[in-house]
Amino acid sequence: MRSPARRTTWAVALSATLFLTACGGGDDGGDKATGPIVVGISLPLTGDFSEPGKGVQEGYEAWAKITNDKGGLLGRQIELKILDDQSNADRVVADYEQLIGSDQVDLVVGPFSTRLVVPSARVAQEYGMLFVEPAGAAAEVFNQGFKNLFYAAPAVADDHYNHLAEYLLALPAGQKPTTVAYAAMDDPFAQGTAYGLKKKLEAGGVKTVVDEVYPPNTTDFGSIAAKIAAAKPDMVVGGSQYQDGVNLIVALQQLNYQPKLAAFSTAPTNPEFAKAIGNKTEGILSPTGYSQDAPYASNKEFVEKFKAQFGQAPEEDQANGYTTGQVVGAAVEAAGCAEQGECQQKLIDWLHSNTVETVVGPLKWDATGKPQGAHMIQQWVGDDIKIVLPADAKEADLVYPKPAW
Amino acid sequence: MLVFQSVILGLLLGGLYALLAAGLTLYFGIMRVVMIAHSAFLILAAYLAWWTNERLGIDPLLSLVVTVPLFFGAGVLLQRGLLSRLRPATLTMMSVLITFAIALIIEGLLGYAFSGTQRRIQLGYGTASFDLFGARVAVVKLIAFGLAVVSLAGLYLLMKRTQFGWALRATIQHQDAARLVGIDTERTAGFGFGLGLATAAVGGTALSLDTTIYPSLHWHWIGPLMAIIVVGGLGSVPGAAAAALVLGLAQSLLQIPMGATWAQTVFYVALFATLAVRPQGFFGGRLAQRF
Repeated sequence: MRSPARRTTWAVALSATLFLTACGGGDDGGDKATGPIVVGISLPLTGDFSEPGKGVQEGYEAWAKITNDKGGLLGRQIELKILDDQSNADRVVADYEQLIGSDQVDLVVGPFSTRLVVPSARVAQEYGMLFVEPAGAAAEVFNQGFKNLFYAAPAVADDHYNHLAEYLLALPAGQKPTTVAYAAMDDPFAQGTAYGLKKKLEAGGVKTVVDEVYPPNTTDFGSIAAKIAAAKPDMVVGGSQYQDGVNLIVALQQLNYQPKLAAFSTAPTNPEFAKAIGNKTEGILSPTGYSQDAPYASNKEFVEKFKAQFGQAPEEDQANGYTTGQVVGAAVEAAGCAEQGECQQKLIDWLHSNTVETVVGPLKWDATGKPQGAHMIQQWVGDDIKIVLPADAKEADLVYPKPAW
Repeated sequence: MLVFQSVILGLLLGGLYALLAAGLTLYFGIMRVVMIAHSAFLILAAYLAWWTNERLGIDPLLSLVVTVPLFFGAGVLLQRGLLSRLRPATLTMMSVLITFAIALIIEGLLGYAFSGTQRRIQLGYGTASFDLFGARVAVVKLIAFGLAVVSLAGLYLLMKRTQFGWALRATIQHQDAARLVGIDTERTAGFGFGLGLATAAVGGTALSLDTTIYPSLHWHWIGPLMAIIVVGGLGSVPGAAAAALVLGLAQSLLQIPMGATWAQTVFYVALFATLAVRPQGFFGGRLAQRF
């Protein structure tokens, strides 16, 4: 607890110093092309989203350091200017207005969470700035008509299970699961993952036998589990966050229900998960946007250098921040510029027509900025969670039907 | 089959609700206090049980040896030090504010001490279950139910068979009359309050056996528990227990046709129905009439 707090203090002190320096040197704007590239960011460092906000901040800091150690972008060093928006949507708008308008930063990148991404993307759009963002996977981000926005992750919630759906539907008739139970939290992200899979499996002729939606404040999962266990489906899919997923899995185990396949979002990739359900994790599947073990070229370097910088391995939030940096960096290198004005449109155009290699794999986007990929699928094998899909990233074969839990 | 399984689950759940609500109705009976912090104390006890298991590697139930006396003492102090100092005219109202503050303090301290990470006790028998006429009964749920039965029976005997119990019931029924016959009602109220908080220690431990806990979890519990004690009749422990069983069963069974979201509303429907039709509650209590 203490060390991230101290780190934040340092970060704030550092950005304050940078801010003063930037003000002091305000009139020597002539060396724009050789001075540092200033990247403006507003992050929720306090308030509701402070935990993931700090994670994304570490990702950005790692990107700046690793890139600078290799000589920077276009031969210029990267300088981050980070403001704290206190998880507040009004504040985030003011922050980006200040960063773009009065601080004249060269580039901006996004804050954390849909609630903050949408208003800040609008500000960036008004100023014609490229806006790559690390978190904002809900549908409403992509139907606002933004032309400058790019989500720097493999997939939106609905597409998380695409690899699994493909795999299951390709199975021969005798093996293919025929019945599935879905239980999803009433939350756009969690429900999106489960219903994305539901839509694809139903289209492929797999029957839905239970379809339960529970409110986020649900404390008792016994009855939901009883309903699922009584229907005896081949497969159970949980659109879960964390505690609901854990509670539901334990409740299913208490009823001695043994599905052929069990897939839950978010919960199984949490470091606490195995301990929470008493290590009875055998065969549980989960989509994941990031894995330290993913074989993408830049990922190895990222994990290694991140550990050296922060003393611990990066998780998904850190990876999302880093990926955002990589996407912007690739565009800057390709377009050969990084400043406000015409350059921004060049960056946007380049990203719309190219693929970028990142720590979460190759990314490309449609016109709304929605990434055109799917999440990797991980499965608990023994006492470790391993990538099983897609085939080109897998560490182990998918076990189906899964062993008893 | 599903119905029978749901009945079993509903009864087990109702038993847990009864234990969790017992203290809440007791406080109100003793001194017309609405104790918003009761569920926060439940979560505190759950954290202490988790911590006992995590750090010392012993069964979480053993934490009761420490938490029950500790919570009893805290209850007495809370009553003597804070709540008894409120002006009687605004007691009920102010107690909401003061216990709301206590709930926030407990939540904040839990977050500070144990972080916001969600925790679950790891038990060898966490997912063990046995067959009962075709339904599965989870061992942890049965232990929680057993704890509820034992502590509620203990509470009942204490109230009916001991001199302290008589004094407590007299204080609940009519404070002035109790004082006239020589009962030290202030002392009795303090101990009664401690007793209520001691049930929170047992309840929180029972809860921790089969729940993933986090500091803000108590907000999810206080609503249903309040509904239970109103339906059961404010101040009546047997009433709260009966209401808890009925509502737990109803929630579990309604989930089959209606789904989780609507099944949860059974508490509030029952609350509104009670207030509209029979504000003194359905199972005994007479206190609410005086408001």
